[in-house]
Amino acid sequence: MFGYLVGRLSQAVVVVFVMSVIVFVGVYAIGNPIDVMIDPGATAEIRENLIRQYGLDQPLWRQYFTFIANVFQGDLGNSMVYNIPVTSLVFSRLPATLELVMVSVFIASVIGIPAGLYAGYKPNSIAAKLIMALSVLGFSVPTFWIGMLLIMGFAVELGWLPSGGRGAVGDFLWFKTSLATSDGWAHVIMPAINLSLFKMGLLIRLTRAGMVEAMGAEYVRFARAQGLPDREIVFSHILRNISIPVVTVFGLELGSTLAFAVVTETVFNWPGVGKLIIDSILQLDRPVMVSYLVMVVVLFVFINLTVDLIYARLDPRVRLKGGS
Amino acid sequence: MLKTTLKSGIAALALLAAAPAAMADDLIIGLRAGPDSIDPHWSTLGSQAEALRHVFDTLVDVDEKLQLKPGLAVSWEVIDDTTWEFKMREGVKFHDGSDFTAEDVKFSIERIPEVTGPMPMTLYTKYVDSVEVVDDLTLRVKTKGMAPSLPNDFTRLFVVSSDTGMEARNEQFNSGEMAIGTGPFTFVSWQPKGDLVVEKFDGYWGDAPAWDKVTRREIPDDAARVAALKSGQVDLINYVPATDYISMKNDDSLETFVSDSVYILNVAPVVKDVLPQPIIVNGKALDVNPLQDLRVRKAMDLAINRDVLVNVVLEGLGTPANQLMPEGFFGYSSEIPAPVYDIEQAKALLTEAGYPDGFEIDFTCTNNRVPGDAVVCEALAQMWSRLGLKVNAQALNGTVFFPAAQREEYTMTMSAWGTLTGEAAYTYGALVHTKDEEKGFGNFNRAGYSNPEFDKVFGEGSQTLDPDARKKLYEKASFIAMEDRALIPTVILQSVWAAKAGKLDFVPRIDQETRAYAITPE
Repeated sequence: MFGYLVGRLSQAVVVVFVMSVIVFVGVYAIGNPIDVMIDPGATAEIRENLIRQYGLDQPLWRQYFTFIANVFQGDLGNSMVYNIPVTSLVFSRLPATLELVMVSVFIASVIGIPAGLYAGYKPNSIAAKLIMALSVLGFSVPTFWIGMLLIMGFAVELGWLPSGGRGAVGDFLWFKTSLATSDGWAHVIMPAINLSLFKMGLLIRLTRAGMVEAMGAEYVRFARAQGLPDREIVFSHILRNISIPVVTVFGLELGSTLAFAVVTETVFNWPGVGKLIIDSILQLDRPVMVSYLVMVVVLFVFINLTVDLIYARLDPRVRLKGGS
Repeated sequence: MLKTTLKSGIAALALLAAAPAAMADDLIIGLRAGPDSIDPHWSTLGSQAEALRHVFDTLVDVDEKLQLKPGLAVSWEVIDDTTWEFKMREGVKFHDGSDFTAEDVKFSIERIPEVTGPMPMTLYTKYVDSVEVVDDLTLRVKTKGMAPSLPNDFTRLFVVSSDTGMEARNEQFNSGEMAIGTGPFTFVSWQPKGDLVVEKFDGYWGDAPAWDKVTRREIPDDAARVAALKSGQVDLINYVPATDYISMKNDDSLETFVSDSVYILNVAPVVKDVLPQPIIVNGKALDVNPLQDLRVRKAMDLAINRDVLVNVVLEGLGTPANQLMPEGFFGYSSEIPAPVYDIEQAKALLTEAGYPDGFEIDFTCTNNRVPGDAVVCEALAQMWSRLGLKVNAQALNGTVFFPAAQREEYTMTMSAWGTLTGEAAYTYGALVHTKDEEKGFGNFNRAGYSNPEFDKVFGEGSQTLDPDARKKLYEKASFIAMEDRALIPTVILQSVWAAKAGKLDFVPRIDQETRAYAITPE
């Protein structure tokens, strides 16, 4: 178990390292951040000074090693645009994204999994067909379009919900979160539903596929022959057996939603990290790009690790071995 | 059962959303962009200056047409060729109650090089050699050489208190600790990419603002900004997209405000001997550059139907441009004829220049810098194809376009240029003057254009301290550059604001700034 963890963590370090090299080379290939940012009226002298000040006149490998050396001292650098430490910049916006993602994942699972179970349990019923049709819409209609429809309907026409932004922040235990206030919930509900649709569709289809397959499996027939009620068969036996693919996809989706909730964040003007990273890319704010992507890599590794641990719990046949 | 729960849930949320209604004296503005910092010396970004004006004052101010007017300085005059004297306003207080003096201005000028970032404010102090405080209300600035545009540069010189100290950086300003200015509002809070909240300052020297509390909310997405206004979350928005403008104009619950902007879309034909991307005739790259021929440049100009660009492509939100600055700016020439569209004459000129069958040319533009840049780019390519040219138009993201343009990798480009200072030296000095690193001219002259006659007249202007004489020289320089089609201006972009009907009134500014203290309740 310990060896396994060490193996996974050292993999993470390698991935982070490779990723930072890619970002450096990528930004270098696009060009000089100063040329993107600088005021049109600046003289050549001002421009040269700036390029020197930010070390952009140095060869790429030296810029990279300066960066790495600072990282080892725990300093990810300052944002070029905001001149505040990258970590505090990213962490000032991370809670908003976490809230949004948590609520949307919650909505997706409490609706998606039961709906999928039902659709697999009674695959020929009208309700099941309706659920399947809606699930297709869920992941084929573009998020921003549904987002705009929700805003036009609930905010502009009906005036029930705010059109965007994050609500008032309250205290919950030792966190500051907008989920602790009613105004916060009014703000989060629409973007969260919007963000959950894709995952919901995915979960419905996965659960249904697993369910249909399991319904014909021998253990279900034996259970039936034994006279167990359907409720018990579905919830204690089938659900446990179909959990593995669901948990895998759930984990990956959680990661990618956290990292790339940007479309929903933009449409609903949600102050999360997604918008920050897009702006940083447009302005070639390299320190922010690198640190953000490092965090995303760490996040993915962490989620995958958790998923693996859950596997072992769900399926006694899975054994965790060092580094594999 | 489920249905009723859902219904009552939504109803409950709806009630919650209708949280305390904003006070009548509060104003919430939805803006496309906000500041990057509360330190007024950090960046030259337009949205930065616009936001910080609410908290800090500049030494010199500008009116709606970008012409100079008194700010913290009430008057300024030339003492000798390299000395300017500024007289300070009396009785001005900082938000912490301390008095404003010339010492604070000196400190602010000296602080800029210490703290400014990658969009450096040193741009506005580049002519300053030394600063001398004569008395509390008099400041003398020694300049490096003659600097007729110093008062223009100081329209972006924000004044902080000399008590701020050289150590304070962005974080101390962002937290509010050092965000102490002399402006009409006091700083309350700010989040990067979020809300900037300010409150009325009772001790302000100018007209008291009409609002007790102003929230400047950043909503970069056009559709989201429009939705925020329509749903009543904000009172006013800027940069209304052209596609929404018509429907908003016809909506009784909304009011729109339209103004010319400082931004003009200019075509820059490269006139260097060797082109970065070859021009092709009959499948062969030419070894001469047709763009060097004035007749070719004129033909391309005549082939542009600016009325179509304005009325069709930009949905009415533009004005045909015949020079690089809007009317009323310092150095705008009224001698330059209005642009005409004459495809026959254009074809004749092209034939005369030796290209009866046209040529194939690459044309690169930005696609996200200003509203309409990508569509105008495509429209221009089509207009020139009527002339017989084969134009390979490509609209690129600014992140890709600007570094490559700086490396001079394009044969012909179109991008927006805004005369942010309201006078000709800024625009013609950077775009048209021969590249001269020593004098700091031609930094953005990527076309390789060089005209000794223009340089002479412009250079004379930049060495003339008398405003009237300088204006005449700049007008002449503008005329020369435009007659020679150094650049081909196409349209002046317009910008649109929209507000709840009956809520407020203001005069839209040509620099597109939204100044809360200039907005009055209706």
